[in-house]
Amino acid sequence: MSDVAVIEKPDFEGKRLSFGLAEDRLAHYPEFRDFFVRTFDLDRRGLAEPGFIRAPSGLPYALVFIGRSGEPFPSGVEVHAVVDALEPLQGEVLDRDLWSILRWIIGGVGAPWTAEDFDRTGRLYRVPAAPSA
Amino acid sequence: MAPGGGVTNKLGEPMERQPDGALPAAFRAQWHYLPHYADVNGWRMHYVDEGEGDAVVLLHGNPTWGYLYRDMIGPLVNSGRRVIVPDMIGFGLSEKPVREQAHSLDGHTANLTALVRQLDLKRITPVCHDWGGPTGLSFAMSNPGRVRALTIMSTWAWPLPPAEFHTRIFPWRMMHAPLVGPYLLGRHRALAGRGIYLSVVDREQFARNAQSAYEAVLPDPASRLLTWVWPRWIPLDDNARAFKRFQWLERELSRSKLPTLIVWGREDEVFDAATFSNRFKQMLPHAEGPHLVTGRHFLQEDSGPEIADLIRSFLDRLDLEEGAR
Repeated sequence: MSDVAVIEKPDFEGKRLSFGLAEDRLAHYPEFRDFFVRTFDLDRRGLAEPGFIRAPSGLPYALVFIGRSGEPFPSGVEVHAVVDALEPLQGEVLDRDLWSILRWIIGGVGAPWTAEDFDRTGRLYRVPAAPSA
Repeated sequence: MAPGGGVTNKLGEPMERQPDGALPAAFRAQWHYLPHYADVNGWRMHYVDEGEGDAVVLLHGNPTWGYLYRDMIGPLVNSGRRVIVPDMIGFGLSEKPVREQAHSLDGHTANLTALVRQLDLKRITPVCHDWGGPTGLSFAMSNPGRVRALTIMSTWAWPLPPAEFHTRIFPWRMMHAPLVGPYLLGRHRALAGRGIYLSVVDREQFARNAQSAYEAVLPDPASRLLTWVWPRWIPLDDNARAFKRFQWLERELSRSKLPTLIVWGREDEVFDAATFSNRFKQMLPHAEGPHLVTGRHFLQEDSGPEIADLIRSFLDRLDLEEGAR
């Protein structure tokens, strides 16, 4: 059971997008691109709107997909938190959410990629959000 | 060049030097070299240029910079050589592009070629480590008239995965996977910090004396872009972007008669000596070595002076042989 869920488009009134992470080469391992296409129906919806998810902090996040001429769509993706327009986002909150979102992505991409290997890699490099063994 | 001799960008505008403050004060005593900058292939490249004589060009890889060679520059200069130490575009005190598409294996080779041609270096000995291998050796094979000899350390020059390590998901492929790379290597500088630490023998000394110098020049997630881009250029199958370049490199290098020195870290568990230094020896049977020194992948951290002495002795012997002819 993941603590990240796909949601409908949140209310943007009084909100802003707070940049978290960007990927220029989503299909470096094509199964990652396939996960987003599958999860957000991108072959049908294309660039019409971002994908939205809710992270463990309760914040919604927008996944803004990027197209690049000559490459299958999407070629890239940006991850933005949807936050109160004039309020800062705490780095620790963002970092824990990003960890959970990545773990959810890897779980969705599926074998041979596993959330357990992601956890092990995070521990090896002492990422604060990585769970202890 | 700008009026007054400064470096200009593609638009002809003067380019700023990275402030000397990029390096913590504690490291300036170890790194006291006058900074030089060149406009190479449209980018601003920092390099060290010390001494006189035939040039030894010390080439680093991911995620290091010229500082990796700090214990080797002095001894090589004192042996009567000109020592050039470029920081790869994207690393060290060189310009750091912020888009993944700014980086390619061929582009980095062209950057090095531009520097060597601007300085009009001849009779050079490229010292090739990590990605300084594929770039430095590609330069050498495409500019043989400028190259006198080669030194090869902990690198590879053939198309399919350099090591079994690079085919594994944990930790290698996971570390630079889509979005994971920008998170682990960008936000958390996994390679520029702990990654080097894990790949030296004397970790305590490295953490105490050197680690901060590698971290300081890559201070922000965006500045660390190349740390996750380079791993993505390692071919894992024959559809990979660099597959044909590595095929070409292997073919050309196998034909090379350039005097070559092979030096390897005894404790290198990624590019292990038994597999990698021996493969280079098979490609280049005339090569001297492999000489094994104390070291994991970043062998210069543990054995810099010893490696410098091996290079000095190797070049001294070439000088003597040339003098005898």
